[in-house]
Amino acid sequence: MKLNRMLSRIINQTVTNSRRSALAVTALAAVAIAGNANSAPVEVDAAIPEYKTVSGVGGNLNSIGSDTLNNLMTLWAESFKAAYPNVNIQIEGKGSATAPPALIEGTAQLGPMSRSMKQEEIDAFEKKFGYKPTEIKVSIDALAVFAHKDNPIKGLTMQQVDSIFSSTRKSGGQDIASWDQLGLSDWAGRSISLYGRNSASGTYGFFKEHAMAKGDFKATVKEQPGSSAVVQGVSSDIYGIGYSGIGYATAGVRAVPLGTEAGSFAEATYENCLDGSYPMARFLFIYINKKPGAAVDPLTAEFVRFVLSKAGQQIVIKDGYFPVPAEIANEALEQLK
Amino acid sequence: MTDPAPTPANAPVVPAKGRAHSLLGEPKVWFCAMGLTLGLLMVIGLLSLIIVEGVSVFWPRQVLELDVKDASGKIQTVAGEIRKEQAKRDVSPDATIHHEWLFFTGNKDVTGSAFRFVDAQAIADQRMPKDIIVAERMEYGDSIFYPVSLKLADGTEIAASEGSFLAKLRAKIAEGNARRDQIHTIEADQIGEINDRVRKLEIERRKAITDDDTKLLAELDAARADVQKEYETLAAKAGELRKQMSADVLNYRLADGTARQQAVGDLLRVEHPNAMSWWEKFGVFLHNGWDFLTGAPREANTEGGIFPAIFGTFVMTLLMSVIVTPLGVIAAIYLREYARQGLLVQMVRISVNNLAGVPSIVFGVFGLGFFVYSVGGSLDRWFFSDVLPTPTFGTGGILWASLTLALLALPVVIVATEEALVAVPRGVREAAMACGASKWQSIQRIVLPSALPGILTGVVLAMARGAGEVAPLMLVGVVKLAPSLPLDFTAPFIHAERKFMHLGFHIYDLGFQSPDSEAAKPMVFATTLLLILLVVAMNVAAISLRNHLRKKYAVSTF
Repeated sequence: MKLNRMLSRIINQTVTNSRRSALAVTALAAVAIAGNANSAPVEVDAAIPEYKTVSGVGGNLNSIGSDTLNNLMTLWAESFKAAYPNVNIQIEGKGSATAPPALIEGTAQLGPMSRSMKQEEIDAFEKKFGYKPTEIKVSIDALAVFAHKDNPIKGLTMQQVDSIFSSTRKSGGQDIASWDQLGLSDWAGRSISLYGRNSASGTYGFFKEHAMAKGDFKATVKEQPGSSAVVQGVSSDIYGIGYSGIGYATAGVRAVPLGTEAGSFAEATYENCLDGSYPMARFLFIYINKKPGAAVDPLTAEFVRFVLSKAGQQIVIKDGYFPVPAEIANEALEQLK
Repeated sequence: MTDPAPTPANAPVVPAKGRAHSLLGEPKVWFCAMGLTLGLLMVIGLLSLIIVEGVSVFWPRQVLELDVKDASGKIQTVAGEIRKEQAKRDVSPDATIHHEWLFFTGNKDVTGSAFRFVDAQAIADQRMPKDIIVAERMEYGDSIFYPVSLKLADGTEIAASEGSFLAKLRAKIAEGNARRDQIHTIEADQIGEINDRVRKLEIERRKAITDDDTKLLAELDAARADVQKEYETLAAKAGELRKQMSADVLNYRLADGTARQQAVGDLLRVEHPNAMSWWEKFGVFLHNGWDFLTGAPREANTEGGIFPAIFGTFVMTLLMSVIVTPLGVIAAIYLREYARQGLLVQMVRISVNNLAGVPSIVFGVFGLGFFVYSVGGSLDRWFFSDVLPTPTFGTGGILWASLTLALLALPVVIVATEEALVAVPRGVREAAMACGASKWQSIQRIVLPSALPGILTGVVLAMARGAGEVAPLMLVGVVKLAPSLPLDFTAPFIHAERKFMHLGFHIYDLGFQSPDSEAAKPMVFATTLLLILLVVAMNVAAISLRNHLRKKYAVSTF
């Protein structure tokens, strides 16, 4: 345990805010190697405490940000409201890019994001307030590449994913436009139909950065307004392929196993996210405005505490995402003080 | 419709071969009739699709139990409802087409997904068990199971085979529902009122600290402690009730044999869909429909009702009409009656007409920049600086949304009012003037009343446009979840700063952003139906008001 904590602390100290997302997977891997991987079915880390309600919490709580976290925020809000009946929670989720302006303008106290803030966004925040926004890791997501449920494909390498979605192909592969190029000989001449998110989405940003090495999307990607729309598109299009958070999986699609090299594919499961073998694991964040040395307003603090409690993390599992390990939860709670 | 162009009695004799039809204009009449038919067909088709899909959501479905062979030939038993039948897409060259069912299995807490596809060819056997139960739950959606026993708080256990089992279970569920209401009353009303007091004390306290008034500070602290005590009693009471909710436990097993337990307090309703008569089903249908209309959403809006959205749409549309009507009417009166008709007025008129063609999202952006950030931000700095950085008016809210929509609907009202004013006969005005009325008196007492039906037509159109608009609202105050209504019983009753839910946005959210798009589809249709009904109801109300006025001022030619 001690080693565990030290590792995550060291990683978090050395990694600057802007580069944190790039190393999120490494941080996860480190936690897992230290002996904390859970086995299926997904369960909340036993070391995460139960939530205890406190008195005198009330008022308006606004959340503006990620679409990936939209349903999770709603579920959290429903349970949080059961604990604090007079809290008035309002949730908007139009994309991660809407979170930083909302925090800067003060129109929201919570900024859920499915990618970490970009340097420009942090700079804009710092310019207004004089300090950086506080990043809280609330959940783990396996950004999944979805194909139609009847699609027989075994798995994709990251280079193949890049070749399918990218026009610039920074990973160096050849252009892939039809299914037979991926080894489905029965599907000769069937071109791949691409579904993706709009550019306000953190999922879009994460995918661009991690799957396509910041290359450009093909012009043929059908940009959808929400993650659910991507999944719906793929489930009604047998030649379709698209990406979104694992929490949006339905019966009509399957998450394609991914790997860094051919033959070693990893399913999008909790263990594979923790040990780093699934290449597109990421943290989901909530950003808050916390002045260093001063306490966060009690409402925001209690909400974050609830999210990182056993009940809050149970809701993460209910929505189809993965809970955070206790070390990460504790570290986030430490940040609140 | 089969004979759209009857020949008039005094029709001329057909002059020459070949030109007959075109001379009579018959093809053109036909053409018009076709246009109307096409339009009607589309409207009827769309409406009936929405009505059928929207209404059937609430009708209890049959539950099938299937033995399904999986790839390795092992038999697996699943129970559920057929939601869709479709041809299985198989693209390999020698594939044969066969069918598959989208099967609603419920029990999301066990399987992680409430839906699965079942290949029709893999079904070894199917039956319709009479004793299978579909239960609506607070969390994880519906559950489909066989009951085993009911374990009560006092330790007695009633087996499902006993005759009194179902009645007892239903009684316990009713008890739980009543208790839930009780908890809600305590938490929302009583504790809510206490929290309100705490917040006020907190603000006073902050003031006392800045004024350095130690005496007041001590008084406030004492008051705070009293309130705290009250809170603790109530919280303990609510906690006690909550504990009772999980006292009774239902044991059940799923179709595949898995044994499970569920606190009876988490159940909302149990039904035997395979053993119900038509009337019983109709009862359940009404009950479901009522819950949908009056309930609050649960489980990220995929379950429960949509009352906050109905209410939000209604209040917003009303507020919008109240704002837009005087504004539009005054502008139109000036433009038509007072302003000198010249180039300038012509340009204003053209601008107003163009405003009607501006995409609604542009109004949304304007509303966000002007109302929310500028006006709202300033209001916060002037009047609500003690709660900053938490915004009060500096974030989207129902007031800003109504104002934005009022701007959007303004041209409609102006144009309609102008038309109505023009339609008032010149003679009427002149008569009023001749009787010695001043210009304003004649407008106020003669022209406006007779133009009123026409003005109301404009307002009706504006309301219809406002109620159905979604895009601008997304920027200025509509949210996915806002359980607190903009009107309620805590002072100051009207909460114009609150964000709200809206039926149109709810449809968008369910359709494109819900966690399980399959589960949300029926809700989309039901919500659409409701939005249409709401718009129709508001229009009918306005139209009947107009007809009433028209009778009263029969002079109007509008």
